[in-house]
Amino acid sequence: MRLSLVAAISHGRVYRRLGHGPRSRLDLLRNLVTALVRHERIEAPWARADEMRGYAERLIDYAKRGDTDERAMRMADFWLTEKDLVHKLFKVLAPRFQPHPGSYTRMLHIPSRDSLDRAKMAVIELKGNPFPPLIRPRRDSEKTLLNQLLKGCREDAQRAAGP
Amino acid sequence: MLRAPACDCPSPAVPAGMAVVVLHSVPPIRVLLQRCWQRLELGRWPAVCGAQSPLWGLAPAVQSPACLPEPAAGGEGPGFLGGVLWMAAPKKRRSIEVNRCRRRNPSKLIAVKRNIDVCPECGNLKLKHVLCGYCYAKVKAETQQIRKEIGKKEGGPFNAPTVETVVLYDGEKPSEKDEGKRIIERARKRPSWFSLN
Repeated sequence: MRLSLVAAISHGRVYRRLGHGPRSRLDLLRNLVTALVRHERIEAPWARADEMRGYAERLIDYAKRGDTDERAMRMADFWLTEKDLVHKLFKVLAPRFQPHPGSYTRMLHIPSRDSLDRAKMAVIELKGNPFPPLIRPRRDSEKTLLNQLLKGCREDAQRAAGP
Repeated sequence: MLRAPACDCPSPAVPAGMAVVVLHSVPPIRVLLQRCWQRLELGRWPAVCGAQSPLWGLAPAVQSPACLPEPAAGGEGPGFLGGVLWMAAPKKRRSIEVNRCRRRNPSKLIAVKRNIDVCPECGNLKLKHVLCGYCYAKVKAETQQIRKEIGKKEGGPFNAPTVETVVLYDGEKPSEKDEGKRIIERARKRPSWFSLN
């Protein structure tokens, strides 16, 4: 059995390898999570933002348990390297996301980085941040064909129901 | 003693000739030189004179070979008769038709992008699944200005507040749902793309 080739081929492997090793990957993601909690909107390479998103949402789930919870406090202590953000997490972000069941972050694609590597970049933000919105939801105007037909339908129904 | 060699060799530089004369005095090298000279005379040295023209017999007289051979090492050098190692080399010139087939094969062409759209806000081009570069740059610049104001309010590093933040522009008053929030003032008119709700 050729055991050596199994290590060399990576078909179907789903887990990403970032940084210099597993510990370095965790440190990288920890820095990104700290930055997200502090600035509420950050730009990062798409792969790193994607990895970090899961960890950030689970951290907020832990924070929703309340700051008296021992596990939640230990998680926040590990994941946030700047300790004033622990207060922000429990006092600002947990109440903000209490009504939401999940998906506290929004991740969007950005044009590739300008430098030589042309890296695929993403912007990741916490919902409900005070900054201007990245996408404005567009509603179709009244003048589109479908909306005019629906308007005619509505008026016909009202005329039939009215007198 | 020295006769014109059988093949067409270029005339040597003077220092090379003098080196040959000096080295001729050392016996082993003399034997080697004699062997090389014999080969040259018989025209059996493909490395130096491989492509012989039909007039090689009438070539002008030359005093000594153009270059000294490398010491023979059992058929490992290139070009020696009976060599073991052969390097790959193209047999024929690739015609322009074959070259065109290889160069214009679809796998080598740059793929055409069909996911380019026009941004409905500003009219610049954007990829379908990517944010518009112009609109994002606008939002990013405004965010940076807001962050500068936040920095001025916080004073130093590691002073994250424990209350929410709201941004108010010129002539705006905090409404009742902004109770208890930290207010960041921006000294400009509110932009149209940053609505209150």
